[in-house]
Amino acid sequence: MNDYFEEEEFESQINKDTIWRIGKLGLRHWPMMGGFLLFISLVSVVEAFHTYLNKQMIDLGIIAGDMAALKHYALIYLATWPVFVILVMGFILCAGWLGHRVQYDLRQSMFDHLQELPLSYYDKTPTGWLMSRATSDVTRVGDLVSWGFLDMTWTVTSVSASLFFMFLINWKMTLIVIAIIPLLYLVAVNFKKYILIEYRMVRKVNSKITGAFSENISGVRVVKSLRREERNINEFQNLTNEMYSASFKAAWLSALFLPAVQLVSASAIAIIVWYSGVQYEGGMMTIGSIHAFVSYITFMLWPVQQLAAVYASMQQAIASGERIFSLLDTEVDIVDAPDAIDPGTIRGDIVFDHVTFSYVEENAVLTNFNLTIPQGETVALVGPTGAGKSTIVNLLCRFYEPTGGAIRFNGRDYRSMTQASIQSRVGMVLQTPHLFSGTAMENLKYGRLSATDEEVIAAAKMAGADGFIRKLEKGYQTEVGEGGVLLSTGQKQLISLARAIMVNPDLFIMDEATSAVDTLTESLIQKGMDVLMKGRTSFIIAHRLSTIKNADRILVIEDGGISEMGSHAELIKQRGHYYNLYTRQFREQAARV
Amino acid sequence: MNTIPDLKQTVTKYKFSGLWRLMDGYRWQYLIAIISMGLAAVAGSALYILLGKFVDDVLPAANMRQLLPLVSLGLIGLALTQGAFTFIGGRLAAQTAENIARTLRNYLYDHIQQLSFTYHDQSQTGELLQRTTSDVDTMRRMFAEQAIGIGRISLLFVVNFTALLTLNVRLAFISVIIIPIVLMISLFFFFKIGKAYEAFQEQEAVLSNRLQENLTGVRVVKAFARQAYEIEAFDVENREKWGRGRRLTLMHAFYWPTTDMLCGTQMVAAFFFAGVMAVHGEITAGMYVAYVGLVVQIIWPIRNLGRLVADVSTGFVSFGRVQTVIKEIKEPMVEGTAVTADRLHGAVTFDDVHFAYENEKEHALHGISFTVKPGKKIALMGSTGSGKTSLVNLLPRFYECSNGRITLDGVDLKRYPRAFLREQIGIVMQEPFLFSTSIRNNISYGVNHAVTDEEMFAAAKAAAVHEVILSFPDGYETMVGERGVTLSGGQKQRITLARTILCDPGLLILDDATSAVDTETDEVIRFALEKLMQNRTTFIIAHRIQTVMDADLILMLENGRIIQRGTHKELLTQEGTYRQIYDLQSRIEEELQTELGELIIEN
Repeated sequence: MNDYFEEEEFESQINKDTIWRIGKLGLRHWPMMGGFLLFISLVSVVEAFHTYLNKQMIDLGIIAGDMAALKHYALIYLATWPVFVILVMGFILCAGWLGHRVQYDLRQSMFDHLQELPLSYYDKTPTGWLMSRATSDVTRVGDLVSWGFLDMTWTVTSVSASLFFMFLINWKMTLIVIAIIPLLYLVAVNFKKYILIEYRMVRKVNSKITGAFSENISGVRVVKSLRREERNINEFQNLTNEMYSASFKAAWLSALFLPAVQLVSASAIAIIVWYSGVQYEGGMMTIGSIHAFVSYITFMLWPVQQLAAVYASMQQAIASGERIFSLLDTEVDIVDAPDAIDPGTIRGDIVFDHVTFSYVEENAVLTNFNLTIPQGETVALVGPTGAGKSTIVNLLCRFYEPTGGAIRFNGRDYRSMTQASIQSRVGMVLQTPHLFSGTAMENLKYGRLSATDEEVIAAAKMAGADGFIRKLEKGYQTEVGEGGVLLSTGQKQLISLARAIMVNPDLFIMDEATSAVDTLTESLIQKGMDVLMKGRTSFIIAHRLSTIKNADRILVIEDGGISEMGSHAELIKQRGHYYNLYTRQFREQAARV
Repeated sequence: MNTIPDLKQTVTKYKFSGLWRLMDGYRWQYLIAIISMGLAAVAGSALYILLGKFVDDVLPAANMRQLLPLVSLGLIGLALTQGAFTFIGGRLAAQTAENIARTLRNYLYDHIQQLSFTYHDQSQTGELLQRTTSDVDTMRRMFAEQAIGIGRISLLFVVNFTALLTLNVRLAFISVIIIPIVLMISLFFFFKIGKAYEAFQEQEAVLSNRLQENLTGVRVVKAFARQAYEIEAFDVENREKWGRGRRLTLMHAFYWPTTDMLCGTQMVAAFFFAGVMAVHGEITAGMYVAYVGLVVQIIWPIRNLGRLVADVSTGFVSFGRVQTVIKEIKEPMVEGTAVTADRLHGAVTFDDVHFAYENEKEHALHGISFTVKPGKKIALMGSTGSGKTSLVNLLPRFYECSNGRITLDGVDLKRYPRAFLREQIGIVMQEPFLFSTSIRNNISYGVNHAVTDEEMFAAAKAAAVHEVILSFPDGYETMVGERGVTLSGGQKQRITLARTILCDPGLLILDDATSAVDTETDEVIRFALEKLMQNRTTFIIAHRIQTVMDADLILMLENGRIIQRGTHKELLTQEGTYRQIYDLQSRIEEELQTELGELIIEN
C-alpha cells in the first residue's frame, strides 16, 4: 500500500483507452470541441495562405513591376485579417469555454462520488492525495481536452497546409522538405527521452517537497517543542538540492533541444537555397518561391520545437486522467438496494444476528456477534483499545456493512433500507470532534439545517456548551477556525455533542464523546443527557466509570466478542474483568489517601 | 548545512528592488544570459540580411554556382551561432532561476518553523502551503522564462530595428507605427486580465478550502447524512469558478484578436509600402525579402510582449505573497543572557502573571502566582477553556506573558534562550501529532543523537506501547500516518509519550496526555510516569482525581484565575470546586464500595 500513493510514474506508452475517455469528456460538449477544431484548422490554412500571398506579391508585383497586381494581392491580404481574427476569437472562446467546463464537470462528479464512497476508502486514502486529484489533476485534464488537443490539431493542420502550398509552388523541392521530417523526428524523440526522465524526477522530488512543507506546517508545534528545527532544515536541503539538479538538467536539456531543431531546419533551408539557386537558373524557381519555402520551413518547425514540452505535459495530463478515473471507478461498496425503503423511523429493537466483520480479509474484528437491544435501552461498551467497540457502532450506522450475518432494525434487515433513512436519524458524537470553519452557530445548525436560533441555544444548553459559547468574543457568531482550531478539545466535544442533539435522533451514539471534558462539566451534562436518552436507544463508548455507570446494560468487549454483559451492579458481582477494571482503580486510590 | 542567505533584506517598499536583492550573486550571470539572447537575435536577423544578399547579389551573378555553397554554409553558420547563444542564454537563465527557487524554498521552510505559535494560530495551512510551493514556482518561471523573454524581445527589437534602419530609414519607421498602440492596448487588457485572473485564483482557493474541509470532516458529513447539502454547497463554488474561468476566457478572446488585427494590418501596410518602393526601384528585391523577414521578427514578438509582461506581473504578485511570510519576525531562539546550567533544576515561580492571545480582548490568564520547588509535581485542573494549556505554554516561551514575571531556577524566564528551554522542557500535548515516517523515527524525533534499540524499547515500554508496536507486522519500522497503519487515539498518545520520555527532559508537562487511553492502559502508564516524575518538576493537566491527588500542589483554574490551591488533603477540607469534583467522583466510588461491601456480606 505504501507505494500506491507515491506519485505514479509516467508510463512510457500512452494509454489509448485513457485518451479516449478524456476525449469523451470533451465530446460531451461536442459543438464546442468541433468548433475549436474547425477554427484552429482554418487558422492554419489562413496562416499558410498568408505566406503564399507574400510570394505572389514578390513574384507578380515586385519582380514583374506590376503595381496593379501588388495592390490586388495586398488587398486580398488585408481582407484575410478580419477573417483570421474572427477565427482566432472563435477558437479561444470554444477551447476556453470547453476547458473550464470539463474542469467543472470533473470536479463535480468527483465530489459527488466522494460523498458516496465508504469510510473504508477514506481510511486508506490520504486527504492530500484526493486534494491533488481534484485540483491540479483536473486542471491538467481540462487543459489537455482544450489547449492540448488544440495544439495537436494545429501541428497537424499547419504542417499539412504548408506542405499543400509548397506542393503548389514546387513539388520537387517539397519532397526535399519531406525528407528532413524523419531526421527531425529522430532528434525530437531522442531529446524527449532524456528530458522526460528529468521531468519525472522533478515531479517526484516536487511532491516530496510539498509533503515536507505540509508536514512541517501542520506539525510546527511539535517541531518547535522538540527543537527539531536544525535537523529538519538539513534534511529539507537534501530535497531542494535534488530538486535543483533535476530541474536544472531538464531546463538545460530543453535549452539544447531548441538549437538542435533550429540547426536541422537551417540545414534544410541551406539545401533549399542551394537547390533553388540551381532551379532558378532553369526558371523553375522564383524569388518569391524561395522566400515562401524559407518561411514555410520556419513556420512548420514551430510546433516541432514545442514538441518535447507539449509531449511532457500531455503525458502528465494522461497520468492525471488515469488517477482521476481510478477515483471515479472506485466502486461504492455500500449502495442502496433498488427496492430499499425509508421506513420513516428506526425506532424499535435492534438485533445483531451472527454478525461477522473484518476491515481486511482474514482478520475478523467481530465473529458471530449476537446482541439484541430493546427499544429505548442505553448500552455502554467498555473494553481495551482495538477490541471492536468502534467497529460495532460503525456497523450500526452502516458506515460499514457486516461481511456475514445481519443487523435488523425493528425486525427489518437494514440493507433493505436506504442509508439516508438510517443516518439521518442517528445522532453521533465522535471521539475526535471535527468542526467546520464558520461560526459556532453554523456548526450547531449542521445537525438540523432548518433549526431556529432558539432551538440551537436550547441544544447547546443541554450539552453544557452554552456557557462557554456566550463567553466567546462574539458569542454564537464567533468563528471557530479551520477544523475548530480556535477552541479547546473539550469545547469542540461539547459543540459536537450539541450538534448531535440538534438532530433529535432515534438512535444516539457517543464514542468517547466527553473524554476531554472536565468532571464537573460532565456531571452538568449528565442531567441533560439523561433526559435526552430517555426512551431513545443509545450507545455509549467510554472509559470513565461516571459516564457508563448508569447505562441499562454494560457490555465488556474483548477480542471481537462480548466477554461480560449486565448492569453495573451485576457486573461488579460477577467479579470478572469489569470488576477488576474499576475496583483496582479505586482500591489503589483508597490505599493512597 | 549550506548557509541560507538571509532574505529579510528582500522585503522592500518596491518589489523591484526586492527582486534585485534576491538576485544577489546571480546578477552578472543573468545579464550575460540576456546578452546571449540578444546575440542570438543578431544572428537571426543576419539570416534575413543574408537571404536579401542572396537574392540581390548571388542569383544574378555569373558565378552563381560557385557562390551557392557559400550562402548555404553561411546560413548554417548563422544557425550555429544563434543556437549556441540561445543555449548559453537558456542555461544561464535556468541556473539563476533554479538557484533562486532553491534559496527561497530553503529559506521559507526554515523561516516558517521559526515563526511563533501566535503566527501559526492565525495562519491557515493551505494558504501557507500555497505560498511556499506554487508561489515560489511562479517566481521560478518568472526568472526562467518571462523576465529573460522580455529582455530577449527588447533586444530583438533594438537589433531588428537597427537592421531595418540600415535597409531604409523611412520604411523602418513605417513598419513600427503601430507598436506604441499595441503596447498601450496590451497594458490596458492585461490590467483587466490580471484582475480577472486574480479573481479566478481566489475562487480556486475558496474551492480548495471547501473540498479540504469536506474531506477531513467526511465522518461528520456521513454521520449527519449531509451529502446532498455538501454537494449543493460545493456546486455553488464550483459554478462560480467556472463562471470566472469563462470571464477570463472572454477577456483573452477580445485581447488576442484585437492585437492580431492591429499587427496584421500593420504588416500588410508595411509590405505594401515596401512593395511600392521596390516597384519604383527605390529598394531592391533582395532588400524587400530581407525587410519582410525583419518586420515579422519585430511585430509578433512585440505582440507576445504583452503576455510576458502580464505573466511577470503574476510573478510580482507571488513575490508579494512570499514577502508577507518573509517579513514575519522569527522567534529569537538563542538570544538570552541567562547562564545555563547543563540541566534545569526545575524551581518555578509565577508572579502575578497575565496573558492574552493576540487580537483577543479577554485575557486568558489573570494574576497567576505560585511557587514550585524543584522535583515537585503540580497539577492543574479546571473546566475546558479555563487557561490550563495557556499556562503551561508560557514555560517553553511558546507565548510571552504580557504582565508579571515567571522565573525558572530563580532567573527570569525571559533571560533564557528559547532553544535551551525547549530542549529542557518536555511536553506531551493533548492532541497527539505524529509525522508520516516510521514509528522508530517518530519516537527518536526529539533526540539529537543516535538511539540504541535498548533506549528506544525502554521509552516505549515506559509509555506502555512497546507490545502494541511489536504486534504490527513491521514492528518499529511500521510507517505512521496517511501512508501507514491507522493508529487509535490512545496509541498515538502513547507514542508521543515515548517520544518525550526518550528526550529525558528536566521539566515535564503532561497536557491531559492520557485522555484517550483506556482505564487499564492509563494505569500502566501512570505507574511508568510515576518513576519518570521522580525528582523532576512536572506539570500535569488532568481531570481524574486519582491522577492529581498525590501532587505537591494542585491549582484549580477558572476563567484564567486560580480559584483554589493546595494539596489534595487541604483542598478536601475546603468548600469549593475541587471538593465538588471529588464528591462527584468519589460518590461513584462510595457506591462501588457499598456494592463491594454487599458482595462481601453476601459471600
